[in-house]
Amino acid sequence: MIALIVRRGIQLVFLLLGISFLVFSSMYIAPGDPATMVGGPTATESDLEAIRDNLGLNDPFLVQYGKYLKNAAQGDFGYSYQTKQTVSEAIAVRFPNTLKLAIASMIVAVIIGIFAGLISALKHNSWLDVTSTTFALAGISIPNFWLGALLILVFAVNLQWLPVGGLSDPFYTVEGLKQLVLPAITLGTGSAAMIARMARSSMLEVIKADYVRTARAKGVKERNVIWIHTLKNAMIPVITVIGLNFGFLLGGTIITEKVFAINGVGRLMIDSIAMRDFPMVQGSVLLVATLFVVVNLIVDIVYTFIDPRISYD
Amino acid sequence: MKKTVWYSIMLIAMLVLAACSGESASAPKNSDGSKDEGPAASSETFTFATTSDAVGLSPTLTNDSMSANVIEHVYDTLFARNPETKEIEPKLAESYEIKDDLTWVFKLKEGIKFHDGTPFNAEAVKYTFDKLRDPATAAPRASLLEPVDTITVIDENTLEIKTKYPYGVFLAALSHSNAAIISPTADQAQDLMKDPVGTGPFKFVSWTPGDQVELEANEEYWNGAPALKHVVFKVVPEVSTAISMLEAGEVQFIDNLPPEQMKRLESMQNVNVEKTDGTPVYYLTFNHSKEMNQDPEFRKAVAAAIDRDAFISKLNGLGVRSDSILGPQVFGYDESADNAGSAYDLEAAKALVEKNGYGDKPIKLLTANRGTFTLMAEIVQAQLTEAGFKVEIESLEWATFLDTARSGQYDITFLSWSNVTGDGSEMFYPNFHSDNAGTSNRAQYKNPEFDKLVVESRTTIDQEEREVILDKANKLMLEDNAAVVMYHGIVTAAMDKAYTGLELDPNGKWSLTNVTGK
Repeated sequence: MIALIVRRGIQLVFLLLGISFLVFSSMYIAPGDPATMVGGPTATESDLEAIRDNLGLNDPFLVQYGKYLKNAAQGDFGYSYQTKQTVSEAIAVRFPNTLKLAIASMIVAVIIGIFAGLISALKHNSWLDVTSTTFALAGISIPNFWLGALLILVFAVNLQWLPVGGLSDPFYTVEGLKQLVLPAITLGTGSAAMIARMARSSMLEVIKADYVRTARAKGVKERNVIWIHTLKNAMIPVITVIGLNFGFLLGGTIITEKVFAINGVGRLMIDSIAMRDFPMVQGSVLLVATLFVVVNLIVDIVYTFIDPRISYD
Repeated sequence: MKKTVWYSIMLIAMLVLAACSGESASAPKNSDGSKDEGPAASSETFTFATTSDAVGLSPTLTNDSMSANVIEHVYDTLFARNPETKEIEPKLAESYEIKDDLTWVFKLKEGIKFHDGTPFNAEAVKYTFDKLRDPATAAPRASLLEPVDTITVIDENTLEIKTKYPYGVFLAALSHSNAAIISPTADQAQDLMKDPVGTGPFKFVSWTPGDQVELEANEEYWNGAPALKHVVFKVVPEVSTAISMLEAGEVQFIDNLPPEQMKRLESMQNVNVEKTDGTPVYYLTFNHSKEMNQDPEFRKAVAAAIDRDAFISKLNGLGVRSDSILGPQVFGYDESADNAGSAYDLEAAKALVEKNGYGDKPIKLLTANRGTFTLMAEIVQAQLTEAGFKVEIESLEWATFLDTARSGQYDITFLSWSNVTGDGSEMFYPNFHSDNAGTSNRAQYKNPEFDKLVVESRTTIDQEEREVILDKANKLMLEDNAAVVMYHGIVTAAMDKAYTGLELDPNGKWSLTNVTGK
């Protein structure tokens, strides 16, 4: 287990190096000049030149990248071209919100997904199965921003049960929880649908396995057959999908945070891209990549608990 | 089993509810009961939803409208344009005197203090202006004071400023929010970008970047304490979310309403929509560095092919029709310019296209993919095609658009200018003077006769004379078909009905100073 974590840690360093190079070079070749965005519409050529000099944008590509890496290795991820705030500071303010949103959405996705998948498999070909698979299909097809806007209109504007936007209260308060409900459903629905489909097919496969028939033949109670013999064995591919979906979910925060006015890393990323605020883009992409790797490491570790046959030693 | 059925019913109910909401959402709401805890007049906090965050809170170091929204409430300027008379009137200044074309003497109001207790005086003004024009500060709007030569403190409340050449736009420049007066002591002690100190009606409380800025009433404000005690500028990037928040009473005020949302806003029972004719102008311009655009008949054909009235009818009442490049709310406008451009005449356009073979070569119409620009591009493409032109739209995201337009990689494009100071020189100099070709003059327009008039308008002190010069420059451009004005903007805001007293300026700015709960 320790070896796995160490190995993944080393892989992560190389992965981040690769990603930082990709992001850096794509921002470098992308059209649109950061100096124009800093200087505003009335900036003259000499103003722009001074801004470029000041931001180090006149250096050759490799010099810029080298400087960035050197500073990043010392924990300095630079500062925003726009606000002059340090990248670490800006992310530190926003990251808790994104994490809250991602975890809440994952909880929504896992609960709805596994539950729906399970019912579908157990009541195979019944009306419940048809309903659940239809909703799963709809869940995958519905765009986030549309679902978000719709939920806002129904539950926040018309029924006034929940607030429209913001995520400023702590999550353990009633207000904080209320703020989380709509964004978590919006963001979690797509993942819930994917998890449901995977849970359904995986359960169906396991339920037909010989050892399940044997268990039933031995007179094991149906409840135990499902919960102990079937579910646990069917969970491995489901957990893989959950891990992969976490990445999908982090991508989804970009839109969800915008629709629900949440001050998070996803929004920071998209705003920074629009403003050509390269250090901010770089910092937030690296954070998201790290998170994705860590979650998948956790998934790999969870396998060993669910299936004792899996071992990394 | 019972449980599963129950959950399924809930799920279905939710989706059915969602499906029904499309209609009910746009219908006027019967909101007596539901508004109890919403926008009560007694509510302590007044929240404004803004689509993007401030960049910083120092007037000297910023140049964007979101920062300006906060800055205008925390700081004051020496002068301000009266939205009704359009005259520039003293604000922190008491009076001024023009000794000769190069010497201005300003008397300041007495007894005013900054929020940190520092007295507001001639020294503070000198400090602010010196900082703004110091190259080491690299202030984005240093150009406001570029003509200033020396600043001398005569006594506690008197200041003499000498300019290098006669500066006709001086008072307008001093009314710009980037020329607001900062507290010298605070500026030396702290970073005003994060912790601003001015003399304005509201004091700074806190700023969570990306989320919100909090202000509180300045109870000692020299012009009377504001009625609102606690004001929040909250970042809500999605405008439809902001409108929902307004409807649900979570925010009390939004500005810059998009035309496509006007019907929804006007049907909301708890909201007043405020409109006023504004200074922003939206126009089609040619890339004057291209050979084909230097042909006057080509420009005339394009202008004659565009039916501006038809376009404006799509704006849900948010556009004013006039050919004039300086709009009705801008200093230098004369109503004789309203129809001074080439009128819409499809047949004439067709004839010109036919005669000169303009339809043979495709025209690249560059547009930014935001606001009304996309709609403008689509409609104009259709109209030009009808006249026989071949038009290809290139739609770009804002940052890329700005750069592409600046470097002149287009044939025709749409630009806009909000004109904060409301002065005609401030429209013409950055956008059309040859000094700025390739930077802010994205039209790459170079016309020596026009240049001369613009310089004259900037260096003439007599305001009546300036008006005549600006009108001349305006008409010169129109005769030339150098740009085709699509419309002049109407500035808009929507406020909770529980409040009144919003001051909406033609340049799109607004003040909460006199807003009170009913």
